Amino acid sequence: MKRTEPTTNAVPLLETRNLKKYFKVREGMLHAVDDVNISIPVKKTLGVVGESGCGKSTLGRTILRLLDATEGRILFKGEDILKYKHRKMQEMRKKMQIIFQDPYSSINPRMSVAEIIAEFMLVHRTHRGKMATFQRAAELMDTVGLARRYAGVYPHELDGGRRQRIGIARALSLDPEFIVCDEPVSALDVSIQAQILNLLMDIQEDRGLTYMFITHDLSVVKHISDEIVVMYLGQCVEHASSDELFANPMHPYTKALLSAIPEPDISMRNKEIKIIKGEITSPINPRPGCRFAARCEYAMDICREKTPPLLHQPVSSGKETERHLVACHLFRKGQGKDTL
Amino acid sequence: MNSSTTRITVDAAIFKKESRWKEVWRRLKKDRLAMFALAVISVLILIAVFADLIVPYETALKMNLRQKLALPSATHWFGCDGYGRDLFARCIHGARVSLTIAFSTAFATLVVGSMIGALVGYVGGKLDDLVMRALDIFSAIPSILFAMAMVAALGSGIVNICIAIALTNIPGFVRIVRSSVLNIAEQEYIEAARAGGTSTLRILIKHVLPNAVGTIIVQTTANVASMILIAATLSFLGLGINPPQPEWGALVSEGKEFLRTAPHLILFPGVMICVASFSMSILGDGLRDALDPRLRT
Amino acid sequence: MTDHLISIQNLSVEYRSDIETVYAVNNITFSLKKGETFGLVGETGAGKTTTALTIMRLLPEQTGRITGGSIDFDGRSLLDLPESEMRSIRGEQISMIFQDPMTSLNPVMSVEEQIAEAMELHNRDNKTPEDIRKRVDEVLLMVGIPPSRKHDYPHQFSGGMKQRVVIAMALACEPQLLIADEPTTALDVTIQAQVISMIRKLRDRLGTAMIMITHDLGIVAQTCDNVAVMYAGEIIEMGTAEDIYLSSDHHPYTTGLFGSIPNLRSKTSRLTPIAGLMPDPTHLPEGCNFSPRCPLKMEICDRQPPCIYRNGTHLISCHLFEGRENWRKEEA
Repeated sequence: MKRTEPTTNAVPLLETRNLKKYFKVREGMLHAVDDVNISIPVKKTLGVVGESGCGKSTLGRTILRLLDATEGRILFKGEDILKYKHRKMQEMRKKMQIIFQDPYSSINPRMSVAEIIAEFMLVHRTHRGKMATFQRAAELMDTVGLARRYAGVYPHELDGGRRQRIGIARALSLDPEFIVCDEPVSALDVSIQAQILNLLMDIQEDRGLTYMFITHDLSVVKHISDEIVVMYLGQCVEHASSDELFANPMHPYTKALLSAIPEPDISMRNKEIKIIKGEITSPINPRPGCRFAARCEYAMDICREKTPPLLHQPVSSGKETERHLVACHLFRKGQGKDTL
Repeated sequence: MNSSTTRITVDAAIFKKESRWKEVWRRLKKDRLAMFALAVISVLILIAVFADLIVPYETALKMNLRQKLALPSATHWFGCDGYGRDLFARCIHGARVSLTIAFSTAFATLVVGSMIGALVGYVGGKLDDLVMRALDIFSAIPSILFAMAMVAALGSGIVNICIAIALTNIPGFVRIVRSSVLNIAEQEYIEAARAGGTSTLRILIKHVLPNAVGTIIVQTTANVASMILIAATLSFLGLGINPPQPEWGALVSEGKEFLRTAPHLILFPGVMICVASFSMSILGDGLRDALDPRLRT
Repeated sequence: MTDHLISIQNLSVEYRSDIETVYAVNNITFSLKKGETFGLVGETGAGKTTTALTIMRLLPEQTGRITGGSIDFDGRSLLDLPESEMRSIRGEQISMIFQDPMTSLNPVMSVEEQIAEAMELHNRDNKTPEDIRKRVDEVLLMVGIPPSRKHDYPHQFSGGMKQRVVIAMALACEPQLLIADEPTTALDVTIQAQVISMIRKLRDRLGTAMIMITHDLGIVAQTCDNVAVMYAGEIIEMGTAEDIYLSSDHHPYTTGLFGSIPNLRSKTSRLTPIAGLMPDPTHLPEGCNFSPRCPLKMEICDRQPPCIYRNGTHLISCHLFEGRENWRKEEA
């Protein structure tokens, strides 16, 4: 699956501390991202997984400062980028980029393929003159597997897979170190998904990129991620390395999520699916306590009173380099540390 | 990946810009009614531009009382008006005035209205509230009354009429552009541009406005259609154009007294007003359909 | 043939416009027995939705044309029926549920009104309004929605619940056949599990036959008895679920589809996707539709479309199976 380099103790490329993003709505405050602590080591991929309304997309956009964080810190190589003023943030934009989900609305229909890819470079004047810029754009087209003859073509003439490649080339154009991939393959057909996933992994290997890969698809996230964070209603409920999460899921929500995946295996046809009862509760003015308590079969009184902290747990593989954190009162003993 | 391939790629990137408009043109060509309207408008514009070559301006002014109210004949194709002036010449030169007013006000509305609408729609917030409320106040005044008041304040003449008419139309145009921009601003490629560090100004010019162009063009053609009518109305009411300068509305006004005895005085300029306005509307409809990216057959 | 509930033979469908003709469905044949669940698998553009719409005779009037074949349902030929009779079949004997629950429900009618409407339109045994109201409650309970919510409007429900309402509407008249076109694609995975589980229980209870259209091989494994794989308007492989999931013989496209899915159980470093794209449906290739992308392509594949080969219940349309052991050419 992924490289077997151990997670080092070096400064992570990206880290969030107590990150919150609330939206003011008519009925009150919508807690889209609530006190999230994640860290992504250099050249690794953090998968962020969850269902609609869990806040994963908001998290990605807040980290990129496309949305203003309500509270907390975002550390890029140890420095809090929320403190950056305009000029420094412009520099940061070159280092942090995003690939969007919808290949139809994420590229400007009035610009040709080459113009779209060249646009950021022109804005930041990274190359001398138009010739050099478009030359670089042509090279990026090669990198993402877009035939050069599409350079002058308009997006509406291309299919979803090719459009997504345009989005990827655009994200690479400023030579970033960190890319938020917001459901980049969800809108594509299965066979194209595989092509794009391979491409993303190859690019990561070649350029030493760090990814935050947001998706609702658990099989995709397992394939591409080193570590995975499971989100529910704006909070992290579990954070573990990829293999560990699937081998030993601890949080009741994670367990239900994994058991709900229909597997292409008919021997599993009659397996017991853990159906989560009820519907997702509202993220507006949430009550104190665990957000999942209303639907959890193991809910205890304390679950409805106190929000469980994210605590380290023993890792089933026993490897020192891996970690497993869970936010659930069932696992309170943990190992004491309540931050990463 | 040698340099010649790159050169071809780069050239292609810059050349291909036409292809979108070619496709729009191709679709427009299929709409026969719209193409007919386009032909009519083109003829009218040519008439306006080359009016002097078709018939000298003096002919439009020359009075000949013996020909007073003459009916159409071989010498006077449209007949003569109450002062014996050749109506055909007056209609031809009237085209120049009417169409100049209509197109220039539509253009002014386009430029000013687009800038305000795009800025306000994209930036939103308090600026949006302020500007929209100000425009609401403007729109509360009936446009003809407003135009009349402006002309009374500024004086008559083509330029002042143009200003007056443009001012009455800008609020509506801003509203439409703003609505289109609000829609565009929600698209992910705008967010992508921000993620790339693009300035607001560049986003407006490179990303927002080009996508609003469809709406802007269609609305402008509709504006030309209505401005032909408004200009005619104002002249009919005696505002703006100084006699003896011919303008279609003024011609209709001059002819209204002779409705029963010499209806041709109203008929010819009236028909020209209708044809011009109607053709612009049809052309606008055709353009709207041609610009719609969802291919319909 | 007579114990089949629905039998589609050599069906071909086109979309014709001024500019071009899209060959959406090309000569497909399959059938279902009463109570059977049949999976129709394929990616975008394979022709699955067109097939479903053709069975329901809901193709767009201006452009959709059935250019060949027959559809026999319960002894009647559907393609020959007048529209008035077709209307009595839709909703009552054959029902359809669509992919997007957000747009499948009328936003200005309450849930009760919409479910009752289906029953009122097909009121063969002359139910009284009281009977219909009772039945609406029954049906809502069946899909797991408390009857107390029946006066609510669609926007007051979540995506998963909306889809349940849609299913309730589809099953209200207890149709013999339910066509489900990607019913859970727009839903979260845990809600999807709820909805699939519910569909299975209902199907077992009511004995409804079902055509399950999906691109998700996982859902097919969980729900279907028989499966057909479509590509570029043709059925390139068909068989029982065991044939598709357990056999080692497959059409190269099917192998590619399985290879594109990241496997939850094992570790794979790279996925093996299918190179290229589905062919342009207005210009299908001369030989086998899949040959431009096929890793096992032979010379004949470009020239001649393949015949169908059979091994028991398993059918594959591919030149690779010519002369292979256990595989016999199927006479058209």
